[in-house]
Amino acid sequence: MIEVRGLTKSYGDRLAIQDLNFTVNKGEVVGFLGPNGAGKSTTMKIVTGYMAPSSGEVRVGGFDVFENPIEVKSQIGYLPETPPVYMDMLVEDYLIYVARLRGKSKPDAKTMAQAAMEKTNLTEVQKRLIGNLSKGFRQRVGLAQALVGDPEVLILDEPTVGLDPKQVHEMRDLIQRLKGQHTIVLSTHILPEVQASCDRIIIINRGQIVAEDSLESLGKRMSASGQVTLKIRRKHEELVQSLSGVKGVMSVRRDGSGLDVSVDHNEDTIEAIAEHTVKAGAGLVELKATDLDLEDIFIRLTSSERSEVGREL
Amino acid sequence: MNRICTIAGKDFRSLITSPMFLMVAGASSLLMSYSYLRNLKQFGESTMMSAMQFGQEGGANIHFSVFMQHISITNLLYVLLMPAITMRLLAEERKMRTYDLLLTAPITATDIAVGKFLAAFGAGLVLVLLSLIYPLATRAVAEFSVTQLLVSYLGLALVTGTYMAVGVFASSLTESVLLAVVLGWILNLFLWFISQGAGFFEGSKFIAVMEHLSIGQHFASFVRGTLNVGSFVFILSCIAFFVFLTQRVVESSRWR
Repeated sequence: MIEVRGLTKSYGDRLAIQDLNFTVNKGEVVGFLGPNGAGKSTTMKIVTGYMAPSSGEVRVGGFDVFENPIEVKSQIGYLPETPPVYMDMLVEDYLIYVARLRGKSKPDAKTMAQAAMEKTNLTEVQKRLIGNLSKGFRQRVGLAQALVGDPEVLILDEPTVGLDPKQVHEMRDLIQRLKGQHTIVLSTHILPEVQASCDRIIIINRGQIVAEDSLESLGKRMSASGQVTLKIRRKHEELVQSLSGVKGVMSVRRDGSGLDVSVDHNEDTIEAIAEHTVKAGAGLVELKATDLDLEDIFIRLTSSERSEVGREL
Repeated sequence: MNRICTIAGKDFRSLITSPMFLMVAGASSLLMSYSYLRNLKQFGESTMMSAMQFGQEGGANIHFSVFMQHISITNLLYVLLMPAITMRLLAEERKMRTYDLLLTAPITATDIAVGKFLAAFGAGLVLVLLSLIYPLATRAVAEFSVTQLLVSYLGLALVTGTYMAVGVFASSLTESVLLAVVLGWILNLFLWFISQGAGFFEGSKFIAVMEHLSIGQHFASFVRGTLNVGSFVFILSCIAFFVFLTQRVVESSRWR
């Protein structure tokens, strides 16, 4: 449904995103994950046709975003970071306006606005001014706006930012309900959000994709990989070299007076590491084994000084 | 076309119900009432005087002594007040991020620019009609040529359209409504005073070109009550030019 090839965007001489490649299939829910400033919003804006890339190509439903912008835009419902609502309009009038912008006739627009309000539970506030609604409701109006006219693709840019926990929960429920009816791209920096709703995750950092996988196999990685932190008194360099040879060790990195060792999830490996370190006479003072969860993977992938380890994951 | 109407309709409604529009309409009708009544009273007194002195009636022309003054005062007001009405049209969309909605909707930059202009022009026409009430009401007490009056008002409607196109363009350039107003003033005044620059240069041809470019010359012919095709086309192309510039600015936001 969405194909992105070699997408690059620079603001002046600052590269926001660099050579992004990914595909989103029809009906899929993809989480676009990354820390603030990673280039998520820029990518979303380019896919929706809001902005042109410096180079690269985006196709939505077979249409090129820049050659056929109108066709592409009529297939996409977009909820930007700040919901694009007019404070001086009634909820109903606003949604009808959006439907009319999408080229629907007056009676159609009315039914579409009603349908969108029903999906997002807005019917009770339809005659209220958007400016008088709470942040959570405005966000829902923003989502309703994206849903008007049932577009094939939904692009949601940080839909839960600034909401209270209850509203966040409601928003997630809503997205969950939309699953299967639309192809959804969900951009966020909040992990539970992707865990709750996405089939597949694309992790982006500093404008580049650092990991792309289904939630399941990322989950497997979670349980399949662990980390061992060693504190030793001497022979650091030597151990960095020799530990890499131990079976089950994926990578070794020196971290001050200690070593960070990425390992598979096997107790034999940990035993082997302990044995090897003691035999080498490195003066082992501490050995700590930890499991990785999604958060750790995310942090390891996206914190720059560790990105080398991350790529090997 | 439909989408242009959608944008124009929505913005027109939100313009004429905005406090700013009501304030502008209220303030200008207050000023116009004051100046119009004063002019009319003076005119009445002077015709009475000449009728008594020379024993003749209907010598003076109400169009030249009252209506023309009324129109030029209206025009002066609108040069200053119209940018206040148009200032929000695009600047606020940018600021409130509703611009995202317009740019990701399946519409073109031309739809946006033309729709916004039509909304502003509609609101401007409401104000022009407001000013037309005064001379029309005078019809109850005096005889005069309505056609001549309507031609003058066509001129007023056209220059108001120009101020609106300028205002929408100014609003497209910035996120700040204040800057949009000031920019609107500057551009409007520039349209009026462009012929003043002619004095710096030698050559009658150059002066003629500069004077032709000044909107004042063309407006004056309308106000006198003569329908001049050249002036008509000139003012229309001024409007089209600024709508085109707005379209370019909207389009360019994709490339930033």
